[in-house]
Amino acid sequence: MSSLPLLEVEDLHVTFRTASGPVHAVDGVSFTMRPGSSLGVVGESGSGKSVTARALLRLFAITDDVQISGAVRFDGQDLLRIDERRLRDVRGGQIGMIFQDPLTSLNPLMAVGEQIAESLRLHRGMSRSEAASEAVELLARVGIADPEQRATELPSSFSGGMRQRVMISLAIACRPRLLIADEPTTALDVTVQAEILLLLDELRRSEGMALMLITHDFGVVAATCDDVQVMYAGKLVEKASMAHLFDRANHPYTEGLLRLVPRFEDAHTGRLHPIPGQPPITGGGGSSCAFAPRCSHAVDRCRSEVPPEIAVGPEHVSACWLAAERAKDTTDAGHPWRRTP
Amino acid sequence: MSVLEVDDIVVEFDTDAGRITAVDGVSLHLATGETLGLVGESGCGKSTLARAIMQLVPMQRGSVRLEGTDLGSLSRRELRRMRHRIQMVFQDPRGSLDPRMNVSTLIGEPLKVHSIGDRTSRAKAVAEAMELVGLPAAVADRLPSELSGGQQQRVGIARSIVTDPAVLVCDEPVSALDVSIQAQIINVLDELRDELDLAMLFIAHDLSVVRHLSDRVAVMYLGQIVETGTASEVFGEPRHPYTHGLISSVPRADAESAARLQTARRLVLGELPSLLDPPSGCRYRTRCPYATAECAEAEPAPEPVGPADGLHTVRCHHWRTIVSAAPEPQESAPSQELAI
Repeated sequence: MSSLPLLEVEDLHVTFRTASGPVHAVDGVSFTMRPGSSLGVVGESGSGKSVTARALLRLFAITDDVQISGAVRFDGQDLLRIDERRLRDVRGGQIGMIFQDPLTSLNPLMAVGEQIAESLRLHRGMSRSEAASEAVELLARVGIADPEQRATELPSSFSGGMRQRVMISLAIACRPRLLIADEPTTALDVTVQAEILLLLDELRRSEGMALMLITHDFGVVAATCDDVQVMYAGKLVEKASMAHLFDRANHPYTEGLLRLVPRFEDAHTGRLHPIPGQPPITGGGGSSCAFAPRCSHAVDRCRSEVPPEIAVGPEHVSACWLAAERAKDTTDAGHPWRRTP
Repeated sequence: MSVLEVDDIVVEFDTDAGRITAVDGVSLHLATGETLGLVGESGCGKSTLARAIMQLVPMQRGSVRLEGTDLGSLSRRELRRMRHRIQMVFQDPRGSLDPRMNVSTLIGEPLKVHSIGDRTSRAKAVAEAMELVGLPAAVADRLPSELSGGQQQRVGIARSIVTDPAVLVCDEPVSALDVSIQAQIINVLDELRDELDLAMLFIAHDLSVVRHLSDRVAVMYLGQIVETGTASEVFGEPRHPYTHGLISSVPRADAESAARLQTARRLVLGELPSLLDPPSGCRYRTRCPYATAECAEAEPAPEPVGPADGLHTVRCHHWRTIVSAAPEPQESAPSQELAI
């Protein structure tokens, strides 16, 4: 695997101007992805994880009054600075996207095969007949039975899981080098979710594309991603390999998220541990740790200075003033979120 | 003694495409202070079953007994008088609250509807319900739109407990909420059950949440209960291939996550069949890797696993042989070692 980054995001800021003032949805986010790698982005609603993904492709509604700064280098070009026409080539071309609700991204009045073929003609310059047969091929690749027949059907005749497969076939039609999946399985039943996660993982390996998966569920990340980053109030608060995070979650917010949900393997183990309070509605941009008001470990410094990203292990950083101390604790005494009786 | 006894319920619907049997002979029971988790994929009939128990949809067959009274035998008026003893919590807190009523009016409404108490006692009951669900007195005058999602669901729960019910039916009460709010609401339900000795039917598609809250569990597939037992029996030692597949599908934050999904894929094949044309014999056979000719011919009856009077039953012709052939037996072992 090449170590040259495929995607390099540097100091990304996204600010929405709203009637009630500016919202710093993304507040200085930097990260890189290597070709073929897989990255999970985890956080609560409003943490800025979806806005980060949309900002990479400048996918905002016309009605959004939005300001983006920083750099998004993809394959040598800064996506924030190229013109709209070239950006359209990247969207759906080198970068594919899938969303939680496939119905909002599929044309309800057009047969799914035609929609895929249209994208193939547009981005890969195929002829009408080439594109039509490649569309059938793609539907087969994402596990849709009887693809010739199904290609002629409208999105409404597909079940939720099958519709998400159609969406995935559309997203990979142009052999993207990066696939961004924003909560792709949240609306699906658990058995269908399992299928879709396996499919994404297999496609990533067979097509050699990188995968950025946005979710609130660490289990989903564990099943599909090698690396994980946790967002809070528009900032990346922790980055690590998923394997490393199992044992050594460092940031108190990450720890809180992991302890928040009942784990299937635990029978009833008493009450859950909700994180008190709520995320700030104005996003980041403050002069303190944004998590400090909800953090049971916070000290004075947390309330007066923004913590930098502190290295706590190989390719593991935590934006917490107590990171070094906490790293020592987790290696010494096993991990706090592993709730031993 | 069972506070709720559901016996052999059948619910049929006419749809544009034909008649479907959404609930197909379901029986269950609930004791005071007990939580029964009901799991299954969308369309399996779990919400319809809940509505049938609440007498909100007509049943073609079967009975629902609440504290010994057959609800089906009651006149509308008598039924209305019983209703305060069985209440429901819905998925979408916002959609189930009248946007023009303030919090205390919303919570007091069921008391008014059921003509329970006078003004003073109602006000007291409302204040108590608010405290039980963790709503500060300061929000009493607010409208639903002025509340957070978590507070709205707390209002929904307060409304359902204010009439002092014996049974609470919760239909996906946390699935519309953000994860951090989910944990709060799960704790509220957990505390209420202990505090008020409620019998709870808890319907959710999130198996981790169901396992966390439930004493017993029933797994539904195409209108039938295919396996039931204590939560540790059903989730720890699943006997039905569908139950095993469901459990393996749950993504867990550990290193075996991806391998487990492969198991799920082997145990749950293809797509959910249409209720318009359900499979003959065993409902699950079209998706089951163990299905044989027998499964297409005869419908399996619920059989006890272990002692005949035990709670663990399974509806599968082959459960005895599947046990030994279970793809990953280590999965059904207790997972203490994972927790270290």
